[in-house]
Amino acid sequence: MHEVGIAQGILDIALNTCKNNNYTKVDSIKVRIGKAAGVLPDSLIFAFETMKIGTEAENATLIIEEVPVSGVCNSCKENFSVDDPYIIQCPNCGNISLRIDTGRELNVYELEVS
Amino acid sequence: MKVKVVTNILEANDRLAAENQKIFDELGVFVINLMSGPGAGKTSVLESTIKEVNGKIKIGVIEGDIAGDDDARRIESLNIPVVQINTGGACHLDANMIRVVMNELPLKDIDLLFIENVGNLVCPAEFNVGEDIKVMLLSIAEGHDKPLKYPLMFQTSSALILNKIDLLPYTNADIQKIKKDALSLNPGLKIFEVSCKTGEGVSEWVKWLYSIVNNKP
Repeated sequence: MHEVGIAQGILDIALNTCKNNNYTKVDSIKVRIGKAAGVLPDSLIFAFETMKIGTEAENATLIIEEVPVSGVCNSCKENFSVDDPYIIQCPNCGNISLRIDTGRELNVYELEVS
Repeated sequence: MKVKVVTNILEANDRLAAENQKIFDELGVFVINLMSGPGAGKTSVLESTIKEVNGKIKIGVIEGDIAGDDDARRIESLNIPVVQINTGGACHLDANMIRVVMNELPLKDIDLLFIENVGNLVCPAEFNVGEDIKVMLLSIAEGHDKPLKYPLMFQTSSALILNKIDLLPYTNADIQKIKKDALSLNPGLKIFEVSCKTGEGVSEWVKWLYSIVNNKP
């Protein structure tokens, strides 16, 4: 999707947390990225590595946890969890009416700071 | 030291979108984010809509394109307030772009604001801009496989305009499949079959527009 803007968003969250709490250095940033969020992890890391230079996060590692696409089929009521970002059919019965519960996450959830 | 934050990375856009929506609500403006792939006929549908409405509700338009002002000129020639955004390459509008230009329109005098997004079946559905609802177009010549190839836009839209239905006899597009797949993805979707060329279906679409605009609290 738009990895540079998302890298900037991640960096902003980390740097604002530093500023507001008087930390001086970010060591790592953990993010949760849904498989259906349309984000390519390699592109995101590439953008982040470029953009962190000269900030308090200059030495920070970006740790990406990918979240599978999961939900419930509205037809057969089976739960499903898949890595395919474009799930449009229930893996169990083939119906395309699905309730998607996870897979579109785009969150920073933990920072390691000092 | 570990710090839990749990912050949405797109929070900045969502926050701005919510602020935009508050401004529109206070001024009583109903806002539609109009989306489709390039060339499906967004501007033509707007022209047909404006002519059919014929002043009964006051319409304003924000035009989003990568470059150029052709669309804004077409709308302006119908004496409708319009402002053009050129994204300079970006494939979708975001909430900040709307914030920057919204005050160039006489919002107090507008009942219904169309935000015509950049032609793209993917990214516009990802970014809220402060709209009440999303409406999407699919033109018949784009083919009946599109709902299952680009599900998100069909899932997030309140209405689907199937445009250029006058082309049905000349294509292999299966309109029943489009409708069936779109409704499976989004059972609440309102579907309108429209031809801007013949005028077919425009009045049904506009009747629905009146009902949703007038029901805005």
